[in-house]
Amino acid sequence: MGLLSIIRKIKRKEKEMRILMVGLDNSGKTTIVLKINGEDTSVISPTLGFNIKTITYQKYTLNIWDVGGQKTIRSYWRNYFEQTDGLIWVVDSSDLRRLDDCKMELDNLLKEERLSGASLLIFANKQDIKGALTPAEIAKVLNLEAMDKTRHWKIVGCSAYTGEGLLEGFDWLVQDIASRIYMLE
Amino acid sequence: MEGEADRSDASADASALRKKHLAMLERLSNRHQSSSRPDKPGSSPPPAAASFESTSSFLSLFGESKRSIESRLGQCRLADPSLLKLQFDEISTSIADLEKLVAESSYYLPSYEVRSSLKAVSDLRQALDNLSSELIPKKKFSFKNKPARKEPTAPQPKGAEAENRDSRPAAKAGSLAVAVPDSPGFRNRANEVLAKDVRGLEIGEFTLSDLESCEVRLIGCARALFVHRLRNCRVYAGPVTGSVLIEEAENCVFLLASHQIRIHNAKASDFYLRVRSRPIVEDCSGVRFAPYRLHYRGIERDLEDARLGEETGNWSKVDDFKWLRAAQSPNWSVLPENERIETVDISNLSA
Ligand SMILES: Nc1nc2c(ncn2[C@@H]2O[C@H](COP(=O)(O)OP(=O)(O)OP(=O)(O)O)[C@@H](O)[C@H]2O)c(=O)[nH]1
Ligand SMILES: [Mg+2]
Repeated sequence: MGLLSIIRKIKRKEKEMRILMVGLDNSGKTTIVLKINGEDTSVISPTLGFNIKTITYQKYTLNIWDVGGQKTIRSYWRNYFEQTDGLIWVVDSSDLRRLDDCKMELDNLLKEERLSGASLLIFANKQDIKGALTPAEIAKVLNLEAMDKTRHWKIVGCSAYTGEGLLEGFDWLVQDIASRIYMLE
Repeated sequence: MEGEADRSDASADASALRKKHLAMLERLSNRHQSSSRPDKPGSSPPPAAASFESTSSFLSLFGESKRSIESRLGQCRLADPSLLKLQFDEISTSIADLEKLVAESSYYLPSYEVRSSLKAVSDLRQALDNLSSELIPKKKFSFKNKPARKEPTAPQPKGAEAENRDSRPAAKAGSLAVAVPDSPGFRNRANEVLAKDVRGLEIGEFTLSDLESCEVRLIGCARALFVHRLRNCRVYAGPVTGSVLIEEAENCVFLLASHQIRIHNAKASDFYLRVRSRPIVEDCSGVRFAPYRLHYRGIERDLEDARLGEETGNWSKVDDFKWLRAAQSPNWSVLPENERIETVDISNLSA
């Protein structure tokens, strides 16, 4: 980490983390954010632009950017890369047909220099659906083992329906970011 | 590295995890400091009257800051070069604030306002980028946070990636790295009546793909429905508790009830829907919408169970992702009443 960026991080508002959440449309991003925040998830429309949620998680303040994944608006993702501490990539584990698309979009994202320092959490969502691939299978399809060795990453199976796995994922992400950013305390 | 596929952890200690999970959820919802919404945190969207007010006040606020940013951008050309960097930083902050305003308001704004504001913000940022690369000569050194790795390939020109997106070869279904058992569904059929009663089967996702001139009758609930490449088909389906995703349909009629419905690349097709959220279309033309019209014995109970017991009126509130303006999208319309079909009864599955 360069000197200036260390200073920048120290000066940053207390314990804030910026988290970018992306993935194909219909993967469950908005549902995950609302669920983790204890809000009603029964009426959610596809996201036309993006949502920002500020939630307190443990002793940190997370600014979660949930950006729509419809094809038309994927080109806007790049507007949100700057200063991202944590990247959450959400996969619909039951949508087998679009896993290739999913892999390609993720590969593109990981080439982004501006995201190169971000911890990566992959949510293999919709585990409650019968026939969904397991996190291990998703990891294989996305070829995660081939990821750059400097990247901190983890894949966690979850269901935004039941809430299963969400906290495990967020716990890891927040700890991982904290250990990189706030290590100077 | 730290990556690991760890479902086993989760199941090994499932109950402990669940306890922790519940505690956390409780803690989270108690605090409920949440949400960057401008009104009470955690409250539901304001009633229609209020949202009209907020829309117009949003628009005037947005317009004002946008104009101010534009004029400050204009002034940069006349500015003292030594102060340029500072000015650019300030403008950049203003653009970020403007973006935040859009995000905070996006839950009550009409969709086209969100889309066009988003576009305006993106344009401003582009203008700022252009201006700063024009007026500030590239520095030899920068203290930017260096990435830990270097891509050997040349960097992609800005925007190229997004534009190329559609020109890639179509994804092959066969290229998956794991063997997947075929999920429930109908595939590669022509000129047939395809019927299935999924009640009691605890079905997860159901797939309809590559069908030509078929009639599909589905009784009972599924959690998700995937529809891919259908021509001249009629699809009569019971409630879906999650979402329906339709890609590539031509000359089809769909009767669907679901929490979410997304329609991509459909042409000349009619949709009779009951849906809890706003249906969306992307890359569609000639698609028409009407309320759900399906019947089979016990459908009322299935609809209730799927929390689709009541008409929501959403069938006509279609959002077109390819249409930015306030005017009605030319790609979809409401199906005139005199052209709508009668209620379809599929109680007798195979008849
Ligand atoms: N069964 C099941 N359905 C889920 C789960 N998570 C989300 N869904 C459903 O999947 C659909 C899509 O969820 P969203 O949260 O809108 O997806 P999104 O990723 O935000 O989509 P975009 O905003 O278009 O990018 C909804 O109908 C959800 O109810 C899950 O864990 N299990
Ligand atoms: Mg969303």
